[in-house]
Amino acid sequence: MVNAFDLVWLIAALPFLSFVVSVTVGRWLPKEGALPGIAATAGSLALSLWAFLTVRSSGAHYENDLYTWIDAGGFELTFGVLVDPLSSMMLVIVSLVAFLVHVFSMGYMNDDKLHREKGGFPRYYAGLGLFSASMLAFVFSSNLLMAFMFFELVGLCSWILIGFWFREEAPPSAAKKAFLVTRFGDYFFLVGVVGILVTFGTSGFADGGFPQIASHFLETGEGADHIWVPGDLDTQTWFSILGLLVLGGVIGKSAQFPLHTWLPDAMEGPTPVSALIHAATMVAAGVYLVARMFGFYAGLPTVLAIIAFIGGFTALFAASMGVVKDDIKQVLAYSTISQYGYMMLALGVGGYVAASFHLLNHAFFKALLFLGAGAVIVATHHHQDMWKLGGLKREMPVTYYTFLAGSLALAGIVPFSGFWSKDEVLYDALLIGLEQPLFLAAYAMGLLAVFLTGFYTFRMVFLTFHGEPRSEHAEHPEPLRWNTKGPLAVLGVLATVTGLLNMKPVAELIGNHDILYLENWLDSGTAANGGEWMGSLTYHHYGHLVHEVAGLHEGSPPPSAELAPIVFGAISLSLALGGALLAKSIYDVPEPERMTDRLGPVGRVVQRNYYLDEFQVWLATGVTEPVARASNTFDQGIIDGAVNATSSVSLFSGERVRRIQSGAVTNYVLVIVMSLIVFVVAVGIVGGWFL
Amino acid sequence: MTVPVEWYLVLSAAVFCIGIFGILTRRNALIFLISVELMLNAANINLVAFSHFYGNATGQVFALFTIGLAAAEVAIGIGIILVLTRNFGEADVTLPTEMRW
Repeated sequence: MVNAFDLVWLIAALPFLSFVVSVTVGRWLPKEGALPGIAATAGSLALSLWAFLTVRSSGAHYENDLYTWIDAGGFELTFGVLVDPLSSMMLVIVSLVAFLVHVFSMGYMNDDKLHREKGGFPRYYAGLGLFSASMLAFVFSSNLLMAFMFFELVGLCSWILIGFWFREEAPPSAAKKAFLVTRFGDYFFLVGVVGILVTFGTSGFADGGFPQIASHFLETGEGADHIWVPGDLDTQTWFSILGLLVLGGVIGKSAQFPLHTWLPDAMEGPTPVSALIHAATMVAAGVYLVARMFGFYAGLPTVLAIIAFIGGFTALFAASMGVVKDDIKQVLAYSTISQYGYMMLALGVGGYVAASFHLLNHAFFKALLFLGAGAVIVATHHHQDMWKLGGLKREMPVTYYTFLAGSLALAGIVPFSGFWSKDEVLYDALLIGLEQPLFLAAYAMGLLAVFLTGFYTFRMVFLTFHGEPRSEHAEHPEPLRWNTKGPLAVLGVLATVTGLLNMKPVAELIGNHDILYLENWLDSGTAANGGEWMGSLTYHHYGHLVHEVAGLHEGSPPPSAELAPIVFGAISLSLALGGALLAKSIYDVPEPERMTDRLGPVGRVVQRNYYLDEFQVWLATGVTEPVARASNTFDQGIIDGAVNATSSVSLFSGERVRRIQSGAVTNYVLVIVMSLIVFVVAVGIVGGWFL
Repeated sequence: MTVPVEWYLVLSAAVFCIGIFGILTRRNALIFLISVELMLNAANINLVAFSHFYGNATGQVFALFTIGLAAAEVAIGIGIILVLTRNFGEADVTLPTEMRW
């Protein structure tokens, strides 16, 4: 009997195979590589579902080393597989989105005339395959080092795909920016990985791995002699430093402030790639990593506060920029940054379930929105400016209704999925914030962002689909085929219903916690490999760490415990509705006006992304470059100067001394004989021969 | 009657000095070769004299080695002299001064 767990490695191997096929023989295949990609991701999806169901039915976690590549006596570096509720859920999400994106790509790339002219499809499908493979392998990684390697591969693939149309001007530059900015964060990540390996001697995630060792030490003070700490640094401080180093990679990949600048530029890539990057692969990798090693973060209050604050700030900050963008993909890009901010906020307040829930919902509704935007773009002959669209509702009903479902989910309108998860994020933040004011500030920013989210989401919907067409392309969009509509329909259904997995306010109200399927799912942890209890990866354990070890206690909200979630859910819902209604009153009219021009200097600052791009360019050219030049001068002048001065002494004396070499043998003999005589005479004088 | 060992040493020193004198003052490479032979044989005299003095055959054996070595050296030396004459037309050791800085 074949066990699903023994085949988990195939989940990543299949898309990798499709990558190899596309690269080698892709150009001779029908559809130029799309079919192997679809088949491979369908296989991955089936295997992921099988693994998911196995975890569900047996409640088993699975950890296994596939390959040990360094074994140095008690210290080994391995490639391994870890399947637990979190990773099996994520495997299903990633493979599902990757599969749908592959199908959609057939409609977006192969069926579009302009794209056919540009060509390069085998390269495109190869990139998609490798992207899916590296993300899936990242998800089931059993240790931090392996996760880091696939994290880097994901970054490489984003570079390949964002710069897919490399003959144009903008895409290669955007690809380079994405690569460099995320690499800046990954630099800290790498240092953190090395630090964790040195500190704990292992980088495993599961029981016996570094999160468990760290939390066990923080809780009981035991096991200190297995933990290496530099100098006489406080152990908790050192853990916080390690956590922040790893967080650097997370901030880069998940596009959190201040390393978010690459993500809007990444819109230069093909739209299905944007869907893949934003929903399931690249950007999700950062948040997933924090969730994966949450046992490590959960005991460190400083790091948690930083995560929460960055998250809350990013949520608001990105939402404010999404309000003024005119390009449909740019609006979606900023909404992605903002939504990942919510997930970070949730993780920072210990809302592990809320973050995973939002990650799940966001994967579906953001993939849906991007694919919907892709459908609009391909149907209107590559018009992305919302002021040139409008009125698409009549001609593209499938796209409209699925896009609307995604927008309702994004804006957080009940009962669509985004409402339930965003509400849970905010409620978790509020509970912690009632005791710790700093977290309350993060909560307030998150709450304010709800209003902005509702506004920009519906501004986008109304400008794109409502009103009158504002260009002839929008008047007569191209008809779409099943391969674009199918993925939209699947995701539309998912974006509508996945919220039912964890209806916290309802559960509190009726007092039935059995309907919190996701929470119970992430809390399940029983026999691993037919053996021990994997207690260190459960929500209970994390909650215990956050409350008892990190000392973040939950406050009690003003109304009773049963009503509070409903009350605060209603507050965020009314904010979202308020934003949506404001957007409706401004933009759902036959002739909408450009309100951004009226915002004056504030609007200009926001439209230029708070000049952060300019600031980063200035950092590079105005600060780093002069410093580098000064260092260069110091190196060439002082360091090399000292070395050269020393050598010039030998050079000069050698130049003089070599002149005594005449080349005539007789002279040499004379010198030898004279020296011998002098030596003998000297020895004689010292020895007293002549006395 | 035996000859005292000092006499041999004086003879050897004299022969050696004649050899050095030849090398320092003459320019002809053939005279060089002959002078080097003289110096080698001065060393041989020493070896044999001490060997006889101590009644130990090792020194004489070494003298035989030196003679063999001298023969080889002459062969190489004459080869060099031949090349010298071909290149410079005469065997003057002060002419080839290329082998320097």
